[in-house]
Amino acid sequence: MDNIETRLVKLALKGDQRAFAEIVELYKDKIFHLGYRMLSNRHEAEDVVQETFLRVYKNLDRYDQKQKFSTWIYRIGTNLCIDRLRKRKPSYSLDAELNDQDGTDGYALLPGDERTPESEYLLSETQQLIHQAIDSLPDKYKTVMVLRYLQELSLQEISEVMDMPVTTIKTRVHRGREFLRKKLEPKL
Amino acid sequence: MDCKLAVSLMHEYLDGDLLDEETDELKQHLAECSECRVAFKQLEQTDMLLFAVNHRKPPVSDELTARIMQSLPKSKQTHVWWTWLKRHPALTAAAAFFIILLGTLPLWNEGPEMIVKGTDLDQVVIEGNSVIVPEGRTIAGNLTIEKGQAKIYGDVEGNVTVIDGGIFQASTAHISGQVQSINQSVDWVWYKIANVFSEVASP
Ligand SMILES: [Zn+2]
Repeated sequence: MDNIETRLVKLALKGDQRAFAEIVELYKDKIFHLGYRMLSNRHEAEDVVQETFLRVYKNLDRYDQKQKFSTWIYRIGTNLCIDRLRKRKPSYSLDAELNDQDGTDGYALLPGDERTPESEYLLSETQQLIHQAIDSLPDKYKTVMVLRYLQELSLQEISEVMDMPVTTIKTRVHRGREFLRKKLEPKL
Repeated sequence: MDCKLAVSLMHEYLDGDLLDEETDELKQHLAECSECRVAFKQLEQTDMLLFAVNHRKPPVSDELTARIMQSLPKSKQTHVWWTWLKRHPALTAAAAFFIILLGTLPLWNEGPEMIVKGTDLDQVVIEGNSVIVPEGRTIAGNLTIEKGQAKIYGDVEGNVTVIDGGIFQASTAHISGQVQSINQSVDWVWYKIANVFSEVASP
């Protein structure tokens, strides 16, 4: 029995535009929130959504139906976000930063104008603090933390999306959580 | 249990991956170590806050779907074309040729080389960009010349086609097939299609 995504993919492959629009409806919010949390910028998040679906559309015939559709689309979206983050700021050693007791202020690494205009929707101080803490995470931790906590994917699913062993994902979640705990400590 | 292991078990606990006996060991350590108790409480709160922040998500633009659909490559015509080809495998060669032709059209007027195609080419005389079929000679088949002048004095038992060139037929010339002069790339395409299709059609 095919699930809904597989059926829609089959129809879209036959040229059914409405089926593809259904796929967009199913996933656009998820990919938008992924992009928004990863990039902290509405416009960039929308660009990522658009690019993700364009890639999905162009590569629909290469979608392996043995794999979950959500895994596939998350992988495309996540990679696009990571690419953008990489282009955005100079690379620095993530581990060095995490181990550096004095230099835990990741805010300095964020270009100021890329920061979210959080006033777009009202947030409590705590929520803002959490968003800023997530923003300040080094990219590779940010990715797994966003997938884990904001997309609520399981460790196994994240490992499939990122194409990495579960143990690696686990380590990153642990370190990311530890990093955020220290960031949020004054408020806890 | 040392504190380092305890912290590692805390994370496993939050992942939902801690075994019962390990949970007991962790509890025991927490009972004894105030520093780890603080760390555990903070980690648990961090975990909860991270999940909780999820309930406030920024609204997604209403026209996003429309914009995405518009951004997709406009037509599926190539797909239709290929699907059609798959259903008509006999025409695949012709169609492939057509596509190659379309791809090479912009280069049409480049390159001065004359091309002569035919069956009895040893019967022709080539002088500069002229292809001459002398009087008394017979070409038993078609003759095609690209970017050259055909000068027919003898017999051609087939079609004479000149692309981007000219034809001179002497009074002595006998051409049993059709004479065609093609000077435009569009004509050329149609000529090629018609030609290939008839080749495909004939056994
Ligand atoms: Zn301890």
